[in-house]
Amino acid sequence: MKLSTYRVERLVMFLFLVPAIALLMIIVVPAVNALFISLTNDAIIGRGALNPQFVGLENFQRLFRDRNFYNSLRVTLLFVVFSALIGQLIVGLVAALLLQNPRLRFRNLAGAVILLPLAVPETVAALLWASMLAPGEYGTANRILEFLGIGSVLWLNQYPLLSIIIINIWRGIAFAMILFSSSLASLPTDIFDAAAVDGASSRQTFQFVTLPLLVPTILLFLLLTTVTTFAIFGLIYFLTAGGPARATEIIGIYIYNESFQFYQLGYGAAVAVIMLGVSLVLGVLYIRVLKVEI
Amino acid sequence: VRRDSTTTFLNYVVLGLIVIYSVLPILWIFLAAFDARADLFVKWPDFTFANFRRFFTETDGVRWLINSLIYSIGSVLIVTVVAALGGYTLSRLRFWWKRPFLYGIILIRIIPSTALIVPLFKILQSVHLLDTYLGLTLVLAAFQTPLALWIMKTFFDTIPVELEEAAWVDGASRFRSLFAIVFPLSFPGVAAAGLFTFLGAWGEFLKPLVLISSQDKLPLSIGLFKAFVAYTNVDYGFMTALAIVYSVPAVVFFMLARTFLVKSFAIGGVKG
Repeated sequence: MKLSTYRVERLVMFLFLVPAIALLMIIVVPAVNALFISLTNDAIIGRGALNPQFVGLENFQRLFRDRNFYNSLRVTLLFVVFSALIGQLIVGLVAALLLQNPRLRFRNLAGAVILLPLAVPETVAALLWASMLAPGEYGTANRILEFLGIGSVLWLNQYPLLSIIIINIWRGIAFAMILFSSSLASLPTDIFDAAAVDGASSRQTFQFVTLPLLVPTILLFLLLTTVTTFAIFGLIYFLTAGGPARATEIIGIYIYNESFQFYQLGYGAAVAVIMLGVSLVLGVLYIRVLKVEI
Repeated sequence: VRRDSTTTFLNYVVLGLIVIYSVLPILWIFLAAFDARADLFVKWPDFTFANFRRFFTETDGVRWLINSLIYSIGSVLIVTVVAALGGYTLSRLRFWWKRPFLYGIILIRIIPSTALIVPLFKILQSVHLLDTYLGLTLVLAAFQTPLALWIMKTFFDTIPVELEEAAWVDGASRFRSLFAIVFPLSFPGVAAAGLFTFLGAWGEFLKPLVLISSQDKLPLSIGLFKAFVAYTNVDYGFMTALAIVYSVPAVVFFMLARTFLVKSFAIGGVKG
């Protein structure tokens, strides 16, 4: 009798998990489905739309000969490296270190203000930068350049990649800052006392004590920010749709444009499969390198 | 002492620059939204509430706002219930595929939605859920499920099983103790999961862009985009008013969720 109650309980508890598994299938099924679509000539209009044919690896062969695909990879790489891995890391770490300094007044206010770029929805963030980078002498960024005696530029036309890097650094400082602040707050204080007793300068303390202790957090940040930056779509699409002349066509925008602007669903899915592969590698790295606790 | 004050001064300068960088782009919408002749540039406003009045009465603004609320609140209701139930099982039950399942959740969380948008479009089309409230709400809920499950699982891990055992000794069944003791205690976890789900669904752009086509089912994000790329009648006063209405819930919830942020970023936690 006792055993059967136990069994019923166990069964009902498994049933608790069923709705969650069903929802997760809304992600897993399309991920597997992407593989199948990538092997067809599926399209939204034309021949492929009515009766998609199996075309083997044709999409992938086309992909590896496509200059636009390599362009997208290059843009994505530059975007991830300069905006996230370098820009957000440095500015976010500096912000976190400064906010640790008890002598600075208005620290809490500054910390809250730095969160705002991440708190607004991404389309609003993009709209803000449309104004910031507006062409002509009245755009805010151009006013700053004029003030510095440089003269105005057409940001999104002349320096499109630099523009979106500046925008994404702006949006990502908060994430880096929060992560590093919490890590700094959890560092043991006695080791800093010891460094002070030994007469270490603040630079030496940072270089030989703080930085080595932050290495695991930096690693975590690099992995997480690569994953999230890789997935960016709306922030950039809103402003440039990948242009001008594909200069800001990061991988997500490339997939969207091929699939829904040029209606090549099969080809778009092939690019998506490459992206899925890279994401899974990053995911496994995340679990392995950071020894995720379960 | 002199060197100290120089360092402090430099610290202020650098922090000041970061703060200016963060806040400068935001100033424009507060000026333009109250400007009768708003432009893409920062200028002193010709003060008016007309832009907000236009948003709430003359345009599709309210429709989009209601739609955004439907998608977001719908997702929150689905996800919190599903994650509370599933999270409890993941916390309390031992079964052989639990570890692979938990690793699987991390991998699923990492999949970018841009990589899934083509098959999602095809699948929703084939089950006739394209351009429907239900279809988009389910998709939005699905993408928030991995994080919510994780939050609930780790939250239940912190509720001692002894509390339940005491109730069982007193004759309560497992499910009675679950609903009477565990779920009431789990409010902070549900709140965190709900906040993140709302923020994710509220800010979503790509999925409604592809999965919704009817004008009267668009959320605020797409409404803003349509207004921005319109060839005629580019109305910056309306757009900035919309941007403020759209941002308020996001900013409020983001600040509420701030304390949970680190945990949510580092899904799974990290060993030192």
